[in-house]
Amino acid sequence: MEAEAAKLIGAGIAMIGAIGAGLGVGMATYGGVQGIARNPDAAGAIQTNMILGIVFTEAIAIYCLVVAMLVLFVF
Amino acid sequence: MSQETTERKWRFGVNRWILLAVIIAGVIITGNYPPARPAILLNAEAILGTHSDPLFYFPFLNTPFYLTNTLVATVLADILVLALLFLSIRPYLNKVRKGADVVPKGLANAVEGFLEVLYNLTESTAGKWTRTIFPWFAAITLLVLVMNWMELIPGVDAVGNFDLHHYTDHYVEEQAQEMGVAVSALSADELHHLEEEAHHHYWEICSDASGNHGEGDTVLIYRANEEGTGACALAVVPWVRAVATDLNFTIGLAIVSVVMIQVIGVRSQGLAYFEKFFNVRTLFTKPFFGLIDFAVGLFEIVSELSKIISFSFRLFGNIFAGAVLLFVIGTLIPVVAQSGVLMLEFFVGMIQAIVFGMLTMVFMAQATHSHHGDEEHH
Amino acid sequence: MEQLGINYGFLIVQIVNFLIMFLILRKWAFIPIMNILEQRREAVAKGLEDARIAQEARENAEKEAEKVMADARTKAAAEARDVTQRAEEQSKEIVKAAEAKAAKAREEALAEVEQDRVRLLGDVRGQVAALSVAAAQKLIGEALDEKKQHSLIDDFFSGVKSGKVTVLEGEDVKGDTAVVTSALPLTDKEQETVKTDVLKKLGSGAEVTFRVDPNILGGLVVRVGDKVLDGSVSGQLSALRENLR
Repeated sequence: MEAEAAKLIGAGIAMIGAIGAGLGVGMATYGGVQGIARNPDAAGAIQTNMILGIVFTEAIAIYCLVVAMLVLFVF
Repeated sequence: MSQETTERKWRFGVNRWILLAVIIAGVIITGNYPPARPAILLNAEAILGTHSDPLFYFPFLNTPFYLTNTLVATVLADILVLALLFLSIRPYLNKVRKGADVVPKGLANAVEGFLEVLYNLTESTAGKWTRTIFPWFAAITLLVLVMNWMELIPGVDAVGNFDLHHYTDHYVEEQAQEMGVAVSALSADELHHLEEEAHHHYWEICSDASGNHGEGDTVLIYRANEEGTGACALAVVPWVRAVATDLNFTIGLAIVSVVMIQVIGVRSQGLAYFEKFFNVRTLFTKPFFGLIDFAVGLFEIVSELSKIISFSFRLFGNIFAGAVLLFVIGTLIPVVAQSGVLMLEFFVGMIQAIVFGMLTMVFMAQATHSHHGDEEHH
Repeated sequence: MEQLGINYGFLIVQIVNFLIMFLILRKWAFIPIMNILEQRREAVAKGLEDARIAQEARENAEKEAEKVMADARTKAAAEARDVTQRAEEQSKEIVKAAEAKAAKAREEALAEVEQDRVRLLGDVRGQVAALSVAAAQKLIGEALDEKKQHSLIDDFFSGVKSGKVTVLEGEDVKGDTAVVTSALPLTDKEQETVKTDVLKKLGSGAEVTFRVDPNILGGLVVRVGDKVLDGSVSGQLSALRENLR
């Protein structure tokens, strides 16, 4: 197998990790929206914390992206 | 207000035809002149000077300086922000300070409203440190917002030079090999001559009579060019490229942010702030758990460092992916489809700007609290 | 690093650029905006405080007004009561005066009527005496001593015999007032006699009034306090009737 093809495949595989982050972001939003629906008065605080949670979850996807980029461009 | 009450005439049946005409014109034009895909490159492309032939070297660092398109974008964003500041916000603020009854309207008021939201958010999180933390939050958010939204301006990431550097280098190397001499041994005249020849050669093989791209127009990235597989590796080097697609910017901003988090932590707690990292308080009283606490404190250092990475790559990843999506869609379906992605990128750009600022703000606010044990690693 | 496009020179350029922008924005935008926001917040807080004070003031004023109103109401009520009381008093006085006047008028009228009656009866007395003398002469057939006859009749009517009130003989009475009733009006002389006689019994402070009542036919009825001394002809006749039964 050519190294080039292996790199492309490797980058693709690295991005599989984004599945988890996607699920996590979905769950965080699910919880946040449900909380807001139940208690609209607390929307501000819930939104802030929800965004923070989403951001931390998203960090996982970002690590995947970093790895994919390292595979593609650096090695 | 009264002007708004006058009924706006909806030119029924006209606008849709205009829209349709534009779409059809777009289809015809892009059919005859297919758009060149901008290079998908991690590095910011050089506009003036190159990596090997820089304008100058930075003193002490000895790294080459060449004008990149992200630097152009940075300067443009700075100019935009400064224009906003001195043409809109300052006059507005002066009016407000003079106690004039300012009618809430216009860009300045929108900016002020936006900043007020950020201020309230900061105040609810940071408390008495609001006045210290808010400028960081606001500056990061405002600047990153402008930089991200610049991506949406038509022409950004799209208008630029055709890049022939790689092809030229490749051609010169080939010719030199054929002549049996090293590239470095060529005289300046010969080199210049070969480069000219390369350009001619390129346009000969890559352009047919109709002016369309030749057979190589399916392979448009540098990488293929380097391998020499595609003869006509045509790529646009945009003059302006979204700043956040340059890791130098995002990492620089992340470093500033994380350093300032430490600075504010020290300012609020003094040297006690470092107890978070070197937790020796319980080390001698409770040997086992103290050791664990100490190790956890050391991990805090890793956590701080990983903040830099997550900060920078979050912004970079989102905006870079957005930019790639924009010009891939723009190349594949050049007419309507990009509008939807533009909408998406509008929100992504805003959210990422706010998230970058808000995270900085939250971490700064956390640094002002003396208790440790916030386990928000990532 | 190189492949990721990280160039320390650019990194530092970006950092410096951001710091410059930060300082500019902070100095000319964020600090003024923070000041304005804080001022506005203070103004809003002050406005709320003012509103609260105004509300309090208004409540106080309302309370005051209510108090004043209540005072006024009670005062008005008191005045009204006063006025009605005075009016009532006045009307009562008027009524009393009117009643008194009426009573006086009635008394005067009664006194006049009484006087008339007394005068009439006094006129009748002489005729009655003459008639009775004439009747007695007719019955007895002989002429009585007319003088003696008259004094007899006088005695009969006045109940006074030789300057003494017959009913009071041997009686022991006490009181402040005495009412002397005769069948026919007594002459002034007779009245004087009766008065002195009664006063002798009761003491000089007593009061003596005279009345005329033809129903007693003759003699005198003297009422002193709650005691009645009946020296009348009708009384003697009824006593005689009791005895004969």
